[in-house]
Amino acid sequence: MLVDLAGGWNPMLGRLAWSQIPYDNPILAPLFVAVVIGAVLVLGLITYYGKWTYLWKEWLTTVDHKKLGVMYILIGLVMLFRGFIDGLMIRTQQAWAVGAHSSGVFGATHGYLTPFHFGQVYSAHGVIMILLAATPLLVGFMNIIVPIQIGARDMAYPYLNALGLWFTAAAGALIMISLFVGDFAHNGWFGYAPIFELQYSPGVGVDYWIWTMELLALGTTLGGINILATIVKMRAPGMTWGRLPIFVWASLASNVIALTSFPALQVALALVAADRYLGAHFFTAGLGGNLMLYTNLFWIWGHPEVYFVILPAFGMMSEIFPTFSEKPLFGYMTMVLASMAIAGVSWLVWLHHFFTMGAGPYVNSAFSVATMLVGIPTGVKVFNWAFTMYRGRLTFNAAMLWAIGALFLLLVGGLTGMMLAVPAINYMVHNSVFVVAHFHSMLLTIVYAIFASVIYWFPKVFGFKLNEFWAKTMFWLFSAGTALVFVPMYMLGFMGMTRRLDYVFNTAWHPYLLVMEFGIVVYTLSVLAFFALLYVSVRDHASNQVGADAWGTSRSLEWLTHSPVPFYNFAVLPHINARDEVAWRRDNGIDHVQPDHYEDIHMPNNTGVAIVLGGLTFVLGFALVWRIWWLCAFSLLAIIALVIYRSFKGDPGYIITAAELEQMEKEAMRREARIGKQQHRVGSGVLGEAIAYARSDLPPLASQPGSTGGLDHRS
Amino acid sequence: MSSHGSNVDPKTAELWDKSHYQHDVISTRTFGYFMYLLSDGMLFATLFAAYGVLSYQHSYSGGPTPADFVKPWYTFAQTMALFVSVLSYGLAMNALKHKNKSGVINGLLAAFVLGVLFLALDIHDMTHLASSGITVATSGGMSAFIILTQVHAAHVFFGLIWILVMMAQVLAKGFTTDVVGRLLTLRMFWHLQAIIWVFVFVFVYLWGYMS
Amino acid sequence: MSHGHDDPTLHPEVQMSTSRGYFSGFAISSILMFVATFLVASHAVPPFGLLMVIAVCAGIAIIAQIYFLLHIDVSEHNIWNTVALVLFMPLFLITIGLTWWMFSQLYLRTMIMPGMMH
Repeated sequence: MLVDLAGGWNPMLGRLAWSQIPYDNPILAPLFVAVVIGAVLVLGLITYYGKWTYLWKEWLTTVDHKKLGVMYILIGLVMLFRGFIDGLMIRTQQAWAVGAHSSGVFGATHGYLTPFHFGQVYSAHGVIMILLAATPLLVGFMNIIVPIQIGARDMAYPYLNALGLWFTAAAGALIMISLFVGDFAHNGWFGYAPIFELQYSPGVGVDYWIWTMELLALGTTLGGINILATIVKMRAPGMTWGRLPIFVWASLASNVIALTSFPALQVALALVAADRYLGAHFFTAGLGGNLMLYTNLFWIWGHPEVYFVILPAFGMMSEIFPTFSEKPLFGYMTMVLASMAIAGVSWLVWLHHFFTMGAGPYVNSAFSVATMLVGIPTGVKVFNWAFTMYRGRLTFNAAMLWAIGALFLLLVGGLTGMMLAVPAINYMVHNSVFVVAHFHSMLLTIVYAIFASVIYWFPKVFGFKLNEFWAKTMFWLFSAGTALVFVPMYMLGFMGMTRRLDYVFNTAWHPYLLVMEFGIVVYTLSVLAFFALLYVSVRDHASNQVGADAWGTSRSLEWLTHSPVPFYNFAVLPHINARDEVAWRRDNGIDHVQPDHYEDIHMPNNTGVAIVLGGLTFVLGFALVWRIWWLCAFSLLAIIALVIYRSFKGDPGYIITAAELEQMEKEAMRREARIGKQQHRVGSGVLGEAIAYARSDLPPLASQPGSTGGLDHRS
Repeated sequence: MSSHGSNVDPKTAELWDKSHYQHDVISTRTFGYFMYLLSDGMLFATLFAAYGVLSYQHSYSGGPTPADFVKPWYTFAQTMALFVSVLSYGLAMNALKHKNKSGVINGLLAAFVLGVLFLALDIHDMTHLASSGITVATSGGMSAFIILTQVHAAHVFFGLIWILVMMAQVLAKGFTTDVVGRLLTLRMFWHLQAIIWVFVFVFVYLWGYMS
Repeated sequence: MSHGHDDPTLHPEVQMSTSRGYFSGFAISSILMFVATFLVASHAVPPFGLLMVIAVCAGIAIIAQIYFLLHIDVSEHNIWNTVALVLFMPLFLITIGLTWWMFSQLYLRTMIMPGMMH
């Protein structure tokens, strides 16, 4: 071995040993039992209902961007839940372990988590929320929506798309298994030198952290290439750059950031791995290592990353506000330029994460000014959304509420960000919970935008709407939770509370921490509301079905195709004539014109190679963590062999004949006609539950979805 | 409520594509691959940034520095091996233009052999260093030197495997769309790693020797 | 952009290869690298000036390789590759340049001896 390993190593199992399984941990042991029972139940149910073939053929081997997007979103939601539990644990520990007289259970002096375990909880919370919840959710939406918004049949590289998903799933599996086999890192989500060196983290936790993030970085880079190539090369005829939907522009800007910045993360973590596996001295304290170099390399990625996650959220908001204000987006061109400007400037600001390093006034001022510059295009966006809503016919349904909530959070987060951009202020609040509250406000902006999008686009993907009442209930509970948790946190930051305290020494802060704990309880209620939302919506799906234009006032191209979207997206690729093509067609009365004849189309085949490769990368990651060298070599060789095999096999795809297409299209249109009649009978229609203000100066309300469903041929 | 941005007359507008639009498979592949290569370039840029920070005097912690062991002409030999390999690949591409199968195979083979020569020289260099007790564990500066140069070498290694695979595919399948697309992307990869090598040679080996 | 080529070797990206281009790229790079190696190995020029000279050699060699080998130009078939490269190049410079600036400033202020460049 090149390095000294605590706890021994043997050639067969590496560092793996029975002692690495925490069977005596009072929290993890019962959790493990619950997980095993849950897994057995799920697998048992699938077997009982005989759904394995269905699962394999329709979901696990798919290369269809919509299904992959749904799976990304599923991963994101599950991990959001896990990250939320981690957050709940942090809050509870901090509300409990306050003051020298606070009690301790489960082996902790104060609270219920030992410092080492607490460190793992907040590190996992950060990694999961940013990279395994927010990113897959956003990538999932971009995956589903971008191809249909540009009139393409699929992404540029369907197989690569599947690979990206399964790499992400493998990374999720790796971090989940770290709960039960070994530890996770305790160095925070972004890591510090030298705490992640072998000397101070002799266990496997940091290794789990490294390889999870490396896998995620790989998956996201591949996804970024895919989306960029799709947007550049696969737009439908007539879809010029000036007619591109704003969400696609946002995806473009954000994936440019992903493509350019993720390699820096890969290098930063690889160098940590070099230190830990090869005994290198990149970030050691001594022998020529440089501790701050790690921080620098990490944040070269880390800052563009946060813009990578927020730009799609901005894009989502830019789609939702116009639809529910029944007006085109105000200032399309400036929105596009602002997105590009944000992407560009995001590359120039990363030192603001370590103003306190001591690079001096020249460096600090330069980066400070650059950081403040980012506020300008963001401000342009905020004003544009406001002007979009101004004098519009507003519908305050759940999606709109979430979007407006996102806007408010953006204001709070953005303004506190501007405060943090000033080094003088930053020196005071660096590493305090003020920073934590700031970035949570920004991340919650993203979460709000995601929930808005879930409600907005769910009907497009699944063909029926979510229940409005529960969606709104969830919104109000979630927002109350947000206020209760993060307003006190800002205050505590100013009062001097630092991040990551497992024991809070200052009892004066206790009232605030208790309010925050109550906030978490309210959040938990909102999670329950979410489960209720899912249950009620699925239960009532038959009465909430929608046609192509689910909201009646939608504007962009995805609302032209059926709901749910057929696997080929469009039977005949549309020819684009305007920005907001669907709104243009609807305004000119030509939204129900169908193509007059169909042609054969060429679709890619499903493949099992992607999921197998994902599994192999999981094995490789696991083997690297535990230093089981024979397994590393074996899985790496298997991966290379499989890639070469797939390269030889290729994929000729298959043809859907024009006749089959016509058949499926007729089915879809019959279904839409049925829904239209059903809506007429029920009477309430689309806008029944929303508050719509009738204005005499605007044209009458848009037609009900599917009300004239069927073939209208222009004469 | 009108959606501006269109000056197309709705009565005569074409609503559905009639032009049998087919997207260009090969240029979609090469464009995506080129973007991947640029991200790979960013990987090297980050490594260079790390190397820059770790190439100060104190980074070597009193131990050996590149000035002590770099042999410029030896590394120049490596450079020439690589450049001739790149040229051979280019000539293979030229043969592809003329549908000359044996020309392509010969070019790929020459590129492979010269690439192996490059790697052999590199491995010999590294083992020589290791036997003198110079490894990544010696100092931060040495870690940076070795990792940067060997990450490049690793790229060459995987490229060589790919060249072998392509030789097999050209022999087995001839010039199909996929094979041609892959030959084009491999060309880009091979050229890029030569470009990266120029940076490594000049700013790591030569500059290291000078200091 | 639609290409109904049945024969993939007729694709513009294949057709744009010329042996003249590859030889030119090869020759320029090799000569420049030879010059750089010779200057460094013979200790002909003092260090700082030498660094400038070999950096220029590297720069020209890179440009030659980018043009002749990667076919970066503004023709219809290469324009997107060129756009992507133009997007990335400032980022390479930013990554390396701003890192260098940051740390040299830091060393200036925190090292006991002023940070002497190696």
